[in-house]
Amino acid sequence: MKPPRLSHSAALILKALSLGYCFGFDIMEATGLPSGTVYPALRRLERDELVVSRWESEADAVAAQRPARRYHEITHSGKAAILAATERYPLLARLLPEKHV
Amino acid sequence: MIPALPSPLTRTDCLLLAATQRLVPIAEREEWLRSWQAELWHRSHQRCAHPAPDLFFGVLQDALWLRTETVSRTLTGTPSLCILLLVSLLLLATIPAIIAVGSLHAFTVVAFANLPRIAAESSLIVFVSLATAVTSLEENLSSPHRLRFRARLFLIAKMALILLLSWMLTADLAWPIHSFLPFTALILQSLSFVLFSLLGLRWSSLDSALRCQHCLCSLASPARVGRPSWNFLEFNGTELVCNHGHGHLSIPEIETSWRQSSVWVPAD
Repeated sequence: MKPPRLSHSAALILKALSLGYCFGFDIMEATGLPSGTVYPALRRLERDELVVSRWESEADAVAAQRPARRYHEITHSGKAAILAATERYPLLARLLPEKHV
Repeated sequence: MIPALPSPLTRTDCLLLAATQRLVPIAEREEWLRSWQAELWHRSHQRCAHPAPDLFFGVLQDALWLRTETVSRTLTGTPSLCILLLVSLLLLATIPAIIAVGSLHAFTVVAFANLPRIAAESSLIVFVSLATAVTSLEENLSSPHRLRFRARLFLIAKMALILLLSWMLTADLAWPIHSFLPFTALILQSLSFVLFSLLGLRWSSLDSALRCQHCLCSLASPARVGRPSWNFLEFNGTELVCNHGHGHLSIPEIETSWRQSSVWVPAD
């Protein structure tokens, strides 16, 4: 199946996810996109099955004394879509640094 | 249930969530609230050099997106949306016609004067359209009378709206030139009315043939079933399913002696 055509913002968000930024707030900081763009875009990507989300385990969050986060992960079709988007937006790869954990 | 936060959110954040959560559909509210409580908590406890980003638009846009997505999921393909769109188009098409004649009163007078001609032309067009319809669907006689009546009512409403819309579009085309080219305007209106109506009615019958016979919603997920070589003993064609699980429609690729038209198969 042909990967879907992504807007520049959606491609940037997907790229951020592929580089290890995995929750909304983190993606906002990495991409510089406003919150009004990032969160609805994450919902759209999830609806289109390019991204899946899961809740962090409550035990891990309690141990770190913070609330559990909702992590987003890029799917197989999301990876195909980001490859196609990188061809379309060649500068995309240079816009974001890899996340250092 | 939403787990308690290690420390409470600020008063502004609590107010923001309380005000915005009403926009979120009830089924998704708890999950949304949990996500945003976590995001807002992390925003106010972040340890980095940058100033904390404003999440106000994120909260609002996210809630609005969920609401519009739910509405669009609920309405997409429904007969109500189809009728609503046709009525909206009709109202939009009326505006240039009113501007062309000068006032709403003048428009009403001209429309009523044209009524017998519209009725005569419309009945002729409907007759031609029905007589030359390419789609045929074996009516499911086992379905309740009420459902068949509703389907017919929907088709009639659609056809009536399409005829009105076609006439209004032709008026938009012809009325501005009527004062200096009356004969050309008359010919243009009549011919374009026939063309628009025939195209519209053809779409209407095709659209009705591709709707669920139970809920009248558009059928989805077309799937190719069989191969041309199966025609002799097996079904070869396309199947479309009702998203609400009422059944599926089998459209044969080639007319055969045992399957001449589309068949609606209700779910057990």
